[in-house]
Amino acid sequence: MILLKALLLSLLLCGQGIAGEAVLTEIAARLAKTPIAQGDFHQQKHLKVLHKPLISTGTFTYDQNKGVIWKTLTPVASLLLVNESKLLTGQGEQAVPAAFGKVFKAMLGGDISALTDGFEITGTDQKTSWQLELSPKDDMLKKVISTMVLSGDTELRGLEIREAGGNITHITFNNITHPEQLTGEQEADFERLSP
Amino acid sequence: MNVYHPKLTAGFWLIGMLAICILGGQALTKDWLETGFLALLPTSEQQPEIAKAVRQHNELLNRKMIWLTGAATSAEAINHAQKLKSQLEQSGLFSKVVLEVPQQHYIEQYQKLFPYRYQLLDQQTREMLAKNPEDLIKQNLEILNSPIGQMQAADLERDPALLFSRYFSAQNTIKLNLEQGIVVLSDQHRFWALLLTDLQDERLQLDKLETLSGLVGSATEQVKTDGGELLVSGMPLFTAHGAESAKQEISTVGIGSSLGIVVLLWATFRSVRPLLLSSLAIGSGLLAALVICVLFFGKIHILTLVFGASLIGVADDYAQHFLCDSFGEKDWNPRKGLKFILPGLSLGLLSNLLSYAGLGFSPFPGLQEVALFSAMGLLVAWLTVVLLFPLLLTGFTFDHQPGILKLTTYWEQHWPLWVFKNRLWLGLMLSAFIAGGLWMLTPQDDVRLLQSPPAELLRTADKIRQLFPISPDNQFFLVSGKDQADWHQNEQALLKRLELLKQQKALTAYAGLSNYWPDESQQQQNYQLLKHQLYDSGLLERYMTDLGFDKTAVKAEYEQFSKAEHNTLALPEWLATADETKQQLWLGCDSDRCQSTVTLTGISDMDALTALQDLPGVVWVDQVESISSLFARYRIRATGLLAIAFCLASLGLGYKFGWRNGATIMSVPVAALAVSLAMLGWFDQLFSLFNLFALLLVLGIGVDYGLFFFMAGDRRVSTSLGVTLSAVTTLLAFGLLAISSTEIVHAFGFTVTAGIVTALLCAPLIGLKEYKNNDKQ
Repeated sequence: MILLKALLLSLLLCGQGIAGEAVLTEIAARLAKTPIAQGDFHQQKHLKVLHKPLISTGTFTYDQNKGVIWKTLTPVASLLLVNESKLLTGQGEQAVPAAFGKVFKAMLGGDISALTDGFEITGTDQKTSWQLELSPKDDMLKKVISTMVLSGDTELRGLEIREAGGNITHITFNNITHPEQLTGEQEADFERLSP
Repeated sequence: MNVYHPKLTAGFWLIGMLAICILGGQALTKDWLETGFLALLPTSEQQPEIAKAVRQHNELLNRKMIWLTGAATSAEAINHAQKLKSQLEQSGLFSKVVLEVPQQHYIEQYQKLFPYRYQLLDQQTREMLAKNPEDLIKQNLEILNSPIGQMQAADLERDPALLFSRYFSAQNTIKLNLEQGIVVLSDQHRFWALLLTDLQDERLQLDKLETLSGLVGSATEQVKTDGGELLVSGMPLFTAHGAESAKQEISTVGIGSSLGIVVLLWATFRSVRPLLLSSLAIGSGLLAALVICVLFFGKIHILTLVFGASLIGVADDYAQHFLCDSFGEKDWNPRKGLKFILPGLSLGLLSNLLSYAGLGFSPFPGLQEVALFSAMGLLVAWLTVVLLFPLLLTGFTFDHQPGILKLTTYWEQHWPLWVFKNRLWLGLMLSAFIAGGLWMLTPQDDVRLLQSPPAELLRTADKIRQLFPISPDNQFFLVSGKDQADWHQNEQALLKRLELLKQQKALTAYAGLSNYWPDESQQQQNYQLLKHQLYDSGLLERYMTDLGFDKTAVKAEYEQFSKAEHNTLALPEWLATADETKQQLWLGCDSDRCQSTVTLTGISDMDALTALQDLPGVVWVDQVESISSLFARYRIRATGLLAIAFCLASLGLGYKFGWRNGATIMSVPVAALAVSLAMLGWFDQLFSLFNLFALLLVLGIGVDYGLFFFMAGDRRVSTSLGVTLSAVTTLLAFGLLAISSTEIVHAFGFTVTAGIVTALLCAPLIGLKEYKNNDKQ
């Protein structure tokens, strides 16, 4: 299993679009849909081989047309830029694992219905909050990710990625705002993604 | 001496043709037709090791085809690709049809190489470790904390420092998106699923090429009906297209000139015999040419046959001269006729053979074939006329007034007079025309002359290259060393410079074996580097503990490391795990050297790259450039050849007929050559090596026409009839060549056509005075 994942890693593949059903429409209707969203994230990764979680924090910016800026501040500063066709990390340009590129865009932008293509979706919709469980349809992706759980209210508040190998990543989003315009710095970061 | 024995000579002819038929029966049952574009390129000029590298580079290229099915969603694109795959598999044309990325291969590769992870470091990791190992730790934290880093860190337990993960992904520098195990590419409008195929044979026979074209056509239709789009590219497709258009041109030229000859002969002689005899001469010539060429070269290229088809119009000349000679003579018989025309026919044959021998001097296999084919065709046509016609023409009479006679009479009598009357302004205009045309003439030496694929094929190839930029460019480096260690050192030096150039965007990617496989001493250095910078320094222990590894895990890793100290991975073992593209980089070792190629992708600064050939053991190989420069060199050489042929002809004629008369005869080819060149300039036609070879033919034909008229004496009427008939058929043949879509064939046709028209217009000016004087006496 580990081997297979390492192999996938090498090719950096992944990938699939995403999708939904009736409950999705309701949840989607509740989500704030704006062209720009930004906020802080707190991420905990539980890896099986490590006896304590890897914790990182930082900020994210979503722009409907331009993509996502994922800026890690601790423990080491790093920048990840992604849109539908391009992914830039500290290691340079990489193939876009569509599961992340698209999921991030879809979720942060409140466009959950775009997820139905690549995932089986089951959801619970309560008065104030909702939760969605996504299982990949693609066989290859299944070997890496077993489920992803999204939760939120008028915003997406949490994301949990359960890997097939048992590792779990838990991300929470805080201080979400919807500014009218990007800052100069954000513009400059997105500029690097343009071909 | 009486050598006129019609029955005996006809017997000789029959025996000779029988022999050719028997030989042909053997030669033409094998696979004798060559269609590939690369077979036209000269190889003899290259050093053997470069030739070998080029061959290996091309062999790969010659079989590969790439197919992309496009649709609005990736699922649809994959669906189209899966349908396409089974269609391709059913065709039986391909030895390999790859849609799903062969994962098993990567798994095996991972398993086989993993034990050598402390010896196999990629360039970047090595540099980071040497300079500042803390950077590696920092980068690991970045990867581990990245929301998409889980895959890069998947084997964290066995590979805590992510060393092998780095090496393994550096081996596969092109990162592709896979869906359902299939490579999916995307642009703004569509998703594209990728399918790669290898043809079964490197050299496809004509019928297979047709099957391939048909398959591409029907697959394109199929995908379109299903709502998608198909892009296909690859060398075999270009070959198929070339063969197809060549075939079409052969039939256009062949049928066109045959029809022309039939109509012309019928209109002139109104009898079946000349028609059959001409066909016999042409047919024997072509058959003999084909058989002898195949026997001599083994295979004959389809482009040669395009030229060969034009031979119909030339081979016909001898027969027509013989037939026309009978015109107007009351007591004509073959014996008298032959006696009169034999010297002219023989000189004509000689000058034509001389011109074609010139073609044989070129290094291009195609032109050598054309030279032999044409020379043999003409020789046998001439032999048929000389040996067989005397018997078959017994009792032949030709004394009606054919319609064409009016034209030829005007042409040989009134036209020269008109020209002489207006010689002042005609001469001025002609000089201005020639000077202007020559001034506009610019030579062009480009390998693309040999192949002129349609714009659509090129557009598709470009589009595919944009979507999937992994096919290497035509240019590459050849690296050698006196042994494996020396080679490794030389290639490493080159790759370091290439890395710099890559950062400066002079190219987008390169592939060299030594970046994937460090040699034995480098492997030891890598191990020692890790030992010193990461393990013995305690850095790894600190990093692992900080991350949250157990103490036992740390200890186990240190033990693994120390156990692996003496591991070495030899090149053959490494190659066994590599994919075909990487295996092809290695050219092997012989007793005194080891060699490899370094391939390049997305070159944008050619000069920066060529400058690297000064490095030790590095040779820059650029087929396109070297062939283009070969074209230029041979253009100059062919100019020399033309000059020599010209001098030889002048000397020969001068010796036989006196210098003054020699110069008079030579004025016809001179005018033909000058006008031909000027026409190229005025019409902005391609001027290359190949036009010069065409000019050689113009020289030969010009001398012929001049000679015929010079020797005509009081038989100007029959001579002009013969020359007109032969010129019209030759014009038809070469004029039809000018419609070819292959640049060189077109250039050839255009040049010869312009030259013959000029020769035809100038020839009757020769010998006129003597004739008029004789007339008055």
